[in-house]
Amino acid sequence: MKRSVLALATLASTALATSVFAAEAPAEIKIGHLYASAGRFASISMPVDYGFKLWADQKNAEGGVFVKGFNKKIPIKLVEYDDQSNTATAQTLYNQLITQDKVDVLIADSGSVLTSVAVPIARDNKMFLIDPTGTGAAFFSKDNPWIALMADPVSTIWPKPVADWVSQEGPKLGIKKVAILYATNEFTGTQANAARKFIKDSGAPIDIVFDQGVPTETTNYTVLINNIKASNPDMVLHFGYAANDIAFLRNMADAGVKFKGLFCIYPGIETELLEKNVGDKGLQYVMTYVTSAALQYKPEFGMSLPEFRDAWKKKFPDNKVEFGFNSIAGYTTGLVLEKALGEMASLDQTELRRAVFAQSGKLKTLDGTFALDELGGQIGELTPLGQFVPGEGGHLKLNALYPPDSATAKAVYPRP
Amino acid sequence: MPRYAKHILFIVAPLVAAFAILPFAYNNQLLLFNFVLFLTLAQGVNVIYGFTGYLPFGYVGFFGAGAYGFSLLILHLHAPPLAAMGGAAVAALAIALLLTPLLRLSGAYFSIANLAAALALMQFISNPNLEAITRGPYGVSMTGVFNPRLAYTMALIVMAGAMLVAVWLRNSRFGLALQAVREDPVSAAQAGVDVPRARAYAWLISAVIAGLAGGVFAWYVTVFYPENVFSSDYSIFAVVFALFGGVSTILGPIVGVLILYGVYNFIGFSTPQYFQLIYGALIMALVLFLPQGLISLVKRRGIDVP
Amino acid sequence: MLTYSLLAGLLFGLYFSLVGLGLNLVFGVMRIVNLAHGDFLMLGAYCAFWLYTLFGVDPVFAIPVAFVLFGLVGLPLYYLLVPRLLAARDPEMLSIILFFGLSQVIEALATIAFGTSEQSIPGGDLGRALREGWGRLTGHEIESGPVEIFGQSFPSAWIISGVASLIAVALVYLYLYRTRTGYLTRAVMSRRDEALATGIDVNRVSAIAFGIGIALAAVGGVFAPFMLGSITPAMGVDSTVVSFAVIVMGSLGNPLGTVLGGLVYGVSYMLVQSYLSSWANLLPYLLLIAILLVRPSGLLGKRVRLA
Repeated sequence: MKRSVLALATLASTALATSVFAAEAPAEIKIGHLYASAGRFASISMPVDYGFKLWADQKNAEGGVFVKGFNKKIPIKLVEYDDQSNTATAQTLYNQLITQDKVDVLIADSGSVLTSVAVPIARDNKMFLIDPTGTGAAFFSKDNPWIALMADPVSTIWPKPVADWVSQEGPKLGIKKVAILYATNEFTGTQANAARKFIKDSGAPIDIVFDQGVPTETTNYTVLINNIKASNPDMVLHFGYAANDIAFLRNMADAGVKFKGLFCIYPGIETELLEKNVGDKGLQYVMTYVTSAALQYKPEFGMSLPEFRDAWKKKFPDNKVEFGFNSIAGYTTGLVLEKALGEMASLDQTELRRAVFAQSGKLKTLDGTFALDELGGQIGELTPLGQFVPGEGGHLKLNALYPPDSATAKAVYPRP
Repeated sequence: MPRYAKHILFIVAPLVAAFAILPFAYNNQLLLFNFVLFLTLAQGVNVIYGFTGYLPFGYVGFFGAGAYGFSLLILHLHAPPLAAMGGAAVAALAIALLLTPLLRLSGAYFSIANLAAALALMQFISNPNLEAITRGPYGVSMTGVFNPRLAYTMALIVMAGAMLVAVWLRNSRFGLALQAVREDPVSAAQAGVDVPRARAYAWLISAVIAGLAGGVFAWYVTVFYPENVFSSDYSIFAVVFALFGGVSTILGPIVGVLILYGVYNFIGFSTPQYFQLIYGALIMALVLFLPQGLISLVKRRGIDVP
Repeated sequence: MLTYSLLAGLLFGLYFSLVGLGLNLVFGVMRIVNLAHGDFLMLGAYCAFWLYTLFGVDPVFAIPVAFVLFGLVGLPLYYLLVPRLLAARDPEMLSIILFFGLSQVIEALATIAFGTSEQSIPGGDLGRALREGWGRLTGHEIESGPVEIFGQSFPSAWIISGVASLIAVALVYLYLYRTRTGYLTRAVMSRRDEALATGIDVNRVSAIAFGIGIALAAVGGVFAPFMLGSITPAMGVDSTVVSFAVIVMGSLGNPLGTVLGGLVYGVSYMLVQSYLSSWANLLPYLLLIAILLVRPSGLLGKRVRLA
């Protein structure tokens, strides 16, 4: 009897409280996320997932993440499913997260293909899709406000520094002939197209003497390398995934071919993976993107790069998933979310969108400045051009070359 | 009541009705949509494998062809979605006609050649040189046709169509002729069955079913890459589901999809970390211990399964 | 450019003969489609990788280890799976599904054990022990760099894998045509039912062929870190498809046919890669379909596979 009276009293006071405050704080914030532990996209998906989990665990250890509307820290509950790189499975799982698990925040798997299926689902359900690394230009359109790209710029923006360097600095260094080789998929194919266009539009006296696409599944480049060599280029731009870069650089070393100048995407993105597979020697004088994995941005929010790297090594000592840009991308996604939640009046999706867009231009993390265009595409977190040079003790050092305001050294060209 | 009427009344109608009502009770509509899609595809596999013995390991080729047939009409001709569904059927039919010579091959050779054809089609469509037509590797993105409710309804209609085809094959002279060809092509030919033509018809029908499923998929998602619609998982799932239930019946593929795709999603939701492992082991166990499908358990007792 | 592509195609093709060789045996003897072939190749690659990483073993010495190890895995696997499968109504078709399941299981276990990121072995370390041994014996050190053939330079791994492939083919040929078990194997290959009727222990013969088939896949895998850029647990599928293209182009049961298939594949692949690179992956599939339709028995085959 006493107990029920008490219960009644509690109920009444709760009702009173809810009517006073806007809403009762939920016991937890449900964040839904997919990863691919197997299949084609596993190697880009797992580091992002681990990076994000690291953030979530850290917040939970601190008692949760602060939400302004409730004026308190609320613990995070991660709801994660494995889509096995299978898009049909991913669809079902995205929808499961939205409709059955009723997550408060929906985070896509990494890479454009596995993100693509989330875009219409999120839009249909009026869920704001947090897109960590799906850079497909098709996702960002005027009629879809339900998406924003978190941790790297859209694929057309990536190659601007390297293309600008080739057309601005190249002619001074004697670069007249450029070869472009790319893997034909959305991420790297779009970059090749953009780079080609930047170079041609610049009006610089540069000929593109070799320009070919190869299937993404290509594993042997020996003949292509020989053909590129025959076209006698001053600079080679290779746009491929990590596996493509590994095969390309290894085949070059095995065939004893050296180009005067060479640009590849992944040495800067997944540096440890590439070092492990290609060796320090194979990466010497290779130009690449300088991502936040090498560039020490001064973060105004979240851990700095060395801190994050230490936390990563401590949390995942078995080294089955390499530390690299994708791990930072996962962590950055967490940081953007954390900052946004800190300014949200409620867990409403339109409020989430508003709060995420409000960070644009203001949030500076270890991944650089977060900036969105009006469609939700990432235009900040830029990737300058860099070059690996032999540093002290035989270790590689990554210099930033271009644009001039972030340059730390001059290009070594032609390579010795 | 004639047999086919019974089959329609007691199998097809309840199934379609169930999936028409379920969205009101259960709101993971995409899960339901995928069920409908796989019911359609499994029945399509049944048409060609169950009734002729040809295992279409590259069945997804027609699915992808349908998805692109649909999308190209939308992208280039701004066709209304319903008309574009016709494009899906035509695209799959055209590919099937092109591949009809494969029916000359026997056994595993047919399956492998069919798989190669599906992969070739994907490589072709996703080639950057065709970007102006197919968007190449950069993927299709259709604006203005996004309408999941209508696409779901269309998926139901396509599924109903596939089921009706199975009912027809189960109850018609043509279906009987096909099964005779499957069991013993020489005797069937002697009995007056035009063997190559019968096989070709089953092949084309089965292709159109997959093509329509592909079209409806494209409509439902509106954004996709070649890898999505040519993923060999579609072929494999459809074949495994059909086989698990038991082919050359109407009920087999339905039971197979409902149980096995149900289990698949259950594993996916509950123990995602061992997803692939459990599912792979399950498939192996199925082949080793139930090669004729679940239906064979009932058939063994002398009960006729529709 | 043309000469280089042709030569590269021949060497590359030789490697793919090795990759397809084991599949040919399994398909030829048991008429079952081992869709997990590429996954055994992947396991062989990891075998070489771990021997190198943990003990610094030259991958050349990983070849006999992989062969014995996977041969021993193949024998019990045969008795576990195949007799049961062959008892079913349509074993040829069902095998596709059974081995797809096996391939999923292997990939899942490999992912749990090895992680998903790319691994490899430094290019110069293939055959290092051999070179050093040669140097000690003769006093002439062989350098590890690329090798010159007809004025064109190729990675040394290509030459070593090509030679290994030729040796493997020769051994399989000797086994099939010069040993008693091999003779019985060929008997089973041509008519399984008749072989059974004449009292041949078909299961034993098949089990050995199955073991050799899987062992050869693993040997092919030893070279994968050098020929295929890097290795991941998911690499199996692509290798399986290429293997099928190669063995179907050649003809079943005949190891020489597999070599021919490999060479045709290698040369045409490299030519397309040179002149129409973005279409390169379309080629094996078209080639496979074309050969099946025009010459269904394979380039060297006699038997008919029409329905």
